[in-house]
Amino acid sequence: MDSSIRKKILIVDDVDLNRQLLAGLLEDYYDIIEAKDGNEALLILQEKTTDISLILLDMIMPGRDGMEVLKVMNENGWINEIPVVMISSETMPDIIRLAYKLGATDFISRPFDQVVVQTRVRNTILLYDKQRRLSELVAEQILEKTRNNSLLIAVLSHIVEFRNGESGMHILHINIITHLLLRTLIKKASQYEYLEKDIDIISTASTMHDIGKISIPDTILNKPGKFTPEEFNIMKQHAMNGALILDKVSFKKDEPLLKYAYEICRWHHERWDGRGYPDGLKGDEIPISAQVVSLADVYDALTSERCYKKAFPHKKAVDMIYNNECGSFNPILLECLRDVEDELPSEFNRFTWNHQVESDFSKIYEITSKDEEHPMYSQTFRQISYEHRKCNFFESLLDGIVFEYAYNPRMLKFRPDGAKKLGIPRIIADLDNAGKYPGFVNQENWEYIQKQFYSGSPDKTTFDIDADLTIDGKRTHCQISIQQIWNKTTDGKPIPVSAYGLARPKKGMEEK
Amino acid sequence: MTLQNFYDSIGESLDDVLNRLHKEERITKYLGLFLQDPSFNDLEKGFAENDIEKAFRAAHTLKGVASNLGFQKLSEASSALTEDLRPRAFTDNSKPLFSTVLNLYGNIVDNIRTLLA
Repeated sequence: MDSSIRKKILIVDDVDLNRQLLAGLLEDYYDIIEAKDGNEALLILQEKTTDISLILLDMIMPGRDGMEVLKVMNENGWINEIPVVMISSETMPDIIRLAYKLGATDFISRPFDQVVVQTRVRNTILLYDKQRRLSELVAEQILEKTRNNSLLIAVLSHIVEFRNGESGMHILHINIITHLLLRTLIKKASQYEYLEKDIDIISTASTMHDIGKISIPDTILNKPGKFTPEEFNIMKQHAMNGALILDKVSFKKDEPLLKYAYEICRWHHERWDGRGYPDGLKGDEIPISAQVVSLADVYDALTSERCYKKAFPHKKAVDMIYNNECGSFNPILLECLRDVEDELPSEFNRFTWNHQVESDFSKIYEITSKDEEHPMYSQTFRQISYEHRKCNFFESLLDGIVFEYAYNPRMLKFRPDGAKKLGIPRIIADLDNAGKYPGFVNQENWEYIQKQFYSGSPDKTTFDIDADLTIDGKRTHCQISIQQIWNKTTDGKPIPVSAYGLARPKKGMEEK
Repeated sequence: MTLQNFYDSIGESLDDVLNRLHKEERITKYLGLFLQDPSFNDLEKGFAENDIEKAFRAAHTLKGVASNLGFQKLSEASSALTEDLRPRAFTDNSKPLFSTVLNLYGNIVDNIRTLLA
């Protein structure tokens, strides 16, 4: 056995002699931690869940006995990660059965036999180790894949957006509206309940609705003002072109993402009354995915500024849709739009691509952790999920404005409440022009703050700066506390990669 | 007195223990620890104070410890006492069963002291 990474074994027994006996048989190969009762064992487990490779647990102890330790281990999910071998001279079949039921892996009876103890311990550890490594690998790959998928789809969709001279917010919005409408739809109309498991896929597919525009010449795509009939005919081809592009993807055709993306690309300009294009489908002939995205597309087009129009306010846009001024839609979907009206603006603020990855990830986590036949053995997986929740919770309690500064690409991100207080968007990417938001900070202060992000060093990653910010419309002298995260480039040079900050008004100086 | 002499004089088999625990010095060390093990004292106290839970648990522990060290007879006697006490009540049998444990335990402890002296 490799002595450089000695595994730790926790021996829980109230009798000193018993602990020593077991330790004596195992200490040549393992690091031994001893606990003299259930309570002590649980405290140790709380601290070192990931460190311990195996527990040898006595059944009968004063205070919390072996059964109780097993119960708590079940409650905390530890039982899936750390094998427990029961030790006892107990021969009552009921107790042994219950212990197995509670997740004990194996049983060692007294009197101890060196060969039996060592072999059983070694085999159990090997088995669990293998399983743990595999689960960790799977968890990492799921996260990586989810991230890559979302990233690729975002990149692909942004290509079209940027060519269109748009910010990329459009596809974000389509994604959000589609998600929200579908969630409402399945609750409202039982014939659509079957869509529930596909909501995420359809929303993701929705971001690809305009990929066919890649084949439309710039002159038409970015033409301000009205199209000639000829130009409009060319423009209309983007629907079918998108579908053709997807059709050529050499992938299984029944792949749900691909299937939905195809429907959406091809039919998101069809109309409920049959007067849309390219196929003139009518009513329920139009797949529901395309119907929803079509409505989302129209809503967002109305409420956003375009090269040929100003943004309509939310209420006006909804009214126009109801009055069939911008197409004709399934009445159930119009009801859904009415229902989600109030939620839409806040959903826009909440959403980011990172957020999407996180939520996909926690969804996968939720599913796998509930799967009794294939429980996740990975502590890492759970830890990430817990840390997110913890972080969100503490952030929500903080009295002040929380932000995140990314160095490459440079970007400033706020929580929705903070952005609201400062009267700025949640994400500011064009940092050199932050003067665009004069309400938030003046140019001089802004340059000063920016410079501070580049001060600090790997040895001094936290510091405070003073600056004036405009909070709720009032010029406020603030203390900004910053924590930098440094990393090393491939050639070993330290660089800051991100910074987290909290801005708080300085006491007694709120009004200035 | 050798370890072999010790096991002979208490009527148990060193070979059995050696088969399981492999090293003589290990066994000797545990015999020393056996002197400090509080199980028997607890058992005695349990009887003296009419504390059935304490008596039961101590009997149960003693059974395990004894079997580990190859004290077959003491382990069996403790086992009989454990089962007698398992319903958590002293019976007419409890006292006589305890006496057996007491005698066996006394003999073993005397011999360990001689061995380690």
